[in-house]
Amino acid sequence: MNRTMILQMIVSGALMGQVYALIAYGFQLTYATSKSINFGQGELVMLSAFFSLTLINWGIAYPLVVVGGLLFGAVLGLFVERAGVRLALEQKSEGWILLTIILGLFGFSTAENIWGRDDRPFPTPISSDPIHIFGIGITPLEVSVILGVFAVMGLIEGFKRYTLLGKAFAALAADRDAAGLMGISATRTIMLSYALSGFVSAMAGILIAPITTVGPTMASTLILKAFSVAVVAGLDSGFGVVITGLVLGAIESLTSFFLGSGWREAPGLLLLILALAVRPTGLFGKTTIRKV
Amino acid sequence: MIMGKRQLLIHGSELFLFGLLAAIPGFINNPYALGLLTLLAIYGILLIGLDVTVGYLGQVNLAQVAFLGLGAYTAGLSVTLLGMGMLPALLLSLVVGLVCGGVLAFPSLRLEGPQFALGTLSFSALTTTILNEWESLTSGAQGLSIVRPPLFGMHLKAQGFYWLCLGLLALIWFFMKNLLSGRWGRAFEALRDSPIATDAMGVGCFRYKVAAFAFGSSLGSLAGGLYAFNFLYLQPQSFTYDLMVILLLGVVLGGRKSLWGAVIGAMIIVLLPNLLSNRFLFHLFAAVGLTLAVVAAVRGRLHKTTPWFQALAPVIAMGLLLIGGFMIGNTEDWRKAIFALMLFSVVVGLPEGVMGFVGRFFSRLLRMAPRTIPISAPLEVVLPQLSPGNQPILTIDALQRHFGGVKAVDGISLSIRSGQIHGLIGPNGSGKSTVVNVISGLYPPTQGKIYKNGTILPSGSLYRVALNGIARTFQNLQLFGELSALANVMVALRGMYRTPFFLILLGLARSEEQKAASHAMALLELVGLAGKSATPAKDLTYGDQRFLEIARALARRPELLILDEPAAGLSRPDIRQLMQIIRKIHQLGVTIILIEHHMDVVTALCDHVTVLDGGKIIAEGTPQAIKRDPKVMEAYLGEMPAVRQEQAEEGAC
Repeated sequence: MNRTMILQMIVSGALMGQVYALIAYGFQLTYATSKSINFGQGELVMLSAFFSLTLINWGIAYPLVVVGGLLFGAVLGLFVERAGVRLALEQKSEGWILLTIILGLFGFSTAENIWGRDDRPFPTPISSDPIHIFGIGITPLEVSVILGVFAVMGLIEGFKRYTLLGKAFAALAADRDAAGLMGISATRTIMLSYALSGFVSAMAGILIAPITTVGPTMASTLILKAFSVAVVAGLDSGFGVVITGLVLGAIESLTSFFLGSGWREAPGLLLLILALAVRPTGLFGKTTIRKV
Repeated sequence: MIMGKRQLLIHGSELFLFGLLAAIPGFINNPYALGLLTLLAIYGILLIGLDVTVGYLGQVNLAQVAFLGLGAYTAGLSVTLLGMGMLPALLLSLVVGLVCGGVLAFPSLRLEGPQFALGTLSFSALTTTILNEWESLTSGAQGLSIVRPPLFGMHLKAQGFYWLCLGLLALIWFFMKNLLSGRWGRAFEALRDSPIATDAMGVGCFRYKVAAFAFGSSLGSLAGGLYAFNFLYLQPQSFTYDLMVILLLGVVLGGRKSLWGAVIGAMIIVLLPNLLSNRFLFHLFAAVGLTLAVVAAVRGRLHKTTPWFQALAPVIAMGLLLIGGFMIGNTEDWRKAIFALMLFSVVVGLPEGVMGFVGRFFSRLLRMAPRTIPISAPLEVVLPQLSPGNQPILTIDALQRHFGGVKAVDGISLSIRSGQIHGLIGPNGSGKSTVVNVISGLYPPTQGKIYKNGTILPSGSLYRVALNGIARTFQNLQLFGELSALANVMVALRGMYRTPFFLILLGLARSEEQKAASHAMALLELVGLAGKSATPAKDLTYGDQRFLEIARALARRPELLILDEPAAGLSRPDIRQLMQIIRKIHQLGVTIILIEHHMDVVTALCDHVTVLDGGKIIAEGTPQAIKRDPKVMEAYLGEMPAVRQEQAEEGAC
């Protein structure tokens, strides 16, 4: 067994893991404001990718396609919040779990019928010829994934830390009632968090589409791994998802090599169940004190 | 026993349902219809199981489809590999579901809401992966062919197999009805509404959550066994996420917490493909759905009972279904979107499902009398007089509890004598609530020990403390909101339920249930809630909710009762009633720890008062002595005026 090959797999896997981390980061955004996540987030990734592909086919320039795709994702996020989440949150019920699953199903079916069931290539100006560093090949495409992930996360994190609107996220996460009394509109902040979360998943879709091709099922396994990263790292872990994404991506890539590609999803799923059993707040999450 | 109109109607309609289902093959000789009926029985069993977690535990369970698959493959493999007969194979399926469900419940035990859904989702995905990849056993994606094994030497044809499935459905209906209408069903619902109170009332989350999940899963895998012997061919792709969503549709659409709902849900699931393949039926269905949604929306808005979104969203979804139905080429292609629209309308517009709606409609239509109110048992039987020994019943020794750097309780030693009302007062943040939370086991102490009657009290477990004769109420109410006032008390009754599990399944716990209800009634009477026994706890007034908490704690027949700010937020007349209740409890010889801010209540009731400030005891004695204590005055009113004067002058300089 060649050591370079294993290293190659670890590196490629870890790079892919950043996409999981990005989607997991999207979960954190909505979880912070409303303790809810979109179970149909995978469909947002897929729909945004399809939408961007359509824009490309119309002959629109790549940078504009990215902008359009991201905006589309944000709009979808807003739609999910309005149709699937708000009512349940007002009733203080967990109906949003079921409702976001349902909306995802609807999105899936719509995509199947509008764009077809086949996987399609996603053309991109970024090259996929590997550059060799110490014998390990990295493609500019993979580099673009990393850069894109960090750019989006950095941007949103900056927004959360340095703008008043962004600080409302932290306020709502800390104490929803107190935030309300201080004049922060919970509804609007939650809307914003869902829009950002849709934005982030659109980014994930656009970044990964050239590598995986675009199809209705492109995100169905991706989302399981994003869940896994989010839970293992903790739903309030901030950049913990980056490290967890690196590790999970690498493990997955090795599993796929040694046990066969069918077992690819297994480590993520197992880790998720284990994390829930041992440490429900996640590796990087904060433990809270039960109050009565 | 005389059967009321209600009982007669319920039993009659159940007999009618099963009689009709059993008789259908007699007069319709159609293999296709028989296939649908068989599937109806199988999904009926599965949905009754799913309803235990979704309806009773209130969790979104995405694992039932995995249990269907596990059960199917277990049954299939035990026939092909081990040559088992039908009954042993089905039994093995059931056991596999029971064990796997129990094991999966452990990690899911501390989980709520999204985490529970994610855990079960992962389990499902993992199961599909294993069924696909363990090719040497399951032959993977190629699929597994099975020959239907004999049942007691008989080779069942389609009709015989249908009757077997229907018979099993009837049996499970009977068992689950007995189980869920009694203490197990109540415990499951208690767990859903307040896990903390479930532990604090000595019921124990652990046992019931594992049990609920294991039961529900075992029914899923039993249904899987039948599924295998029905289709005689298995593929891992049959048991994926799509089917899971459809199963959830069945439970939600049929109606949660209802056996009827499960069977109606199964009927919908079975008929859906036919609905989609027939264009006329589909348009009709969409039109009826839209009409219902519009009627409900108009009524809801006229009475102003439903918010705009809840009224309009189902109309839009159903309208989309109707218009879309005319525009699309092939309904089968849009299958998932159609399910999604239907499910969406139901979840938003009809949260209680078809059965919840029908049930309410019928009970109004037939003017059904509400359930008869049980006659209460004499109070002295329910709460036997305890002898006031005036011995130390609870001794706290150098207790500390820190949260990070905050020393909420900082070295408290205290002795509480039996038969007394012991007041615990102090300004906000003085550590009162933390002290009782440590005593009752919510938090483990950082340091120090607590003794009850000389033996050390278990720490850090609400459940084990509750078993030691200590009961408590909660400052922020922790009632079982959806259960009736009576059921809230019945959940907590100590030493009442002795009927073994198997006799409960057979419906032989009725006398015990009646006795429990009569005891619970006596306690409701004590707190003045006898007239509201059937009201769900969440619909009681705030004051009544506080009284119900006390009645429920008394159902533990405690030696020591901890009342955590029982008068908080109560009106004057309610406070007077509260004081009378506390006096009555005191007369019965129950020792009481009373945490309270109302000084008049404390002065009037307490034999002995301990004052805390900053996590330390600053004074102890009779209420009168406490009132005059300068340290207490300082803690409550700030420093003495003279001192303040000096400070003000310093500040001015």
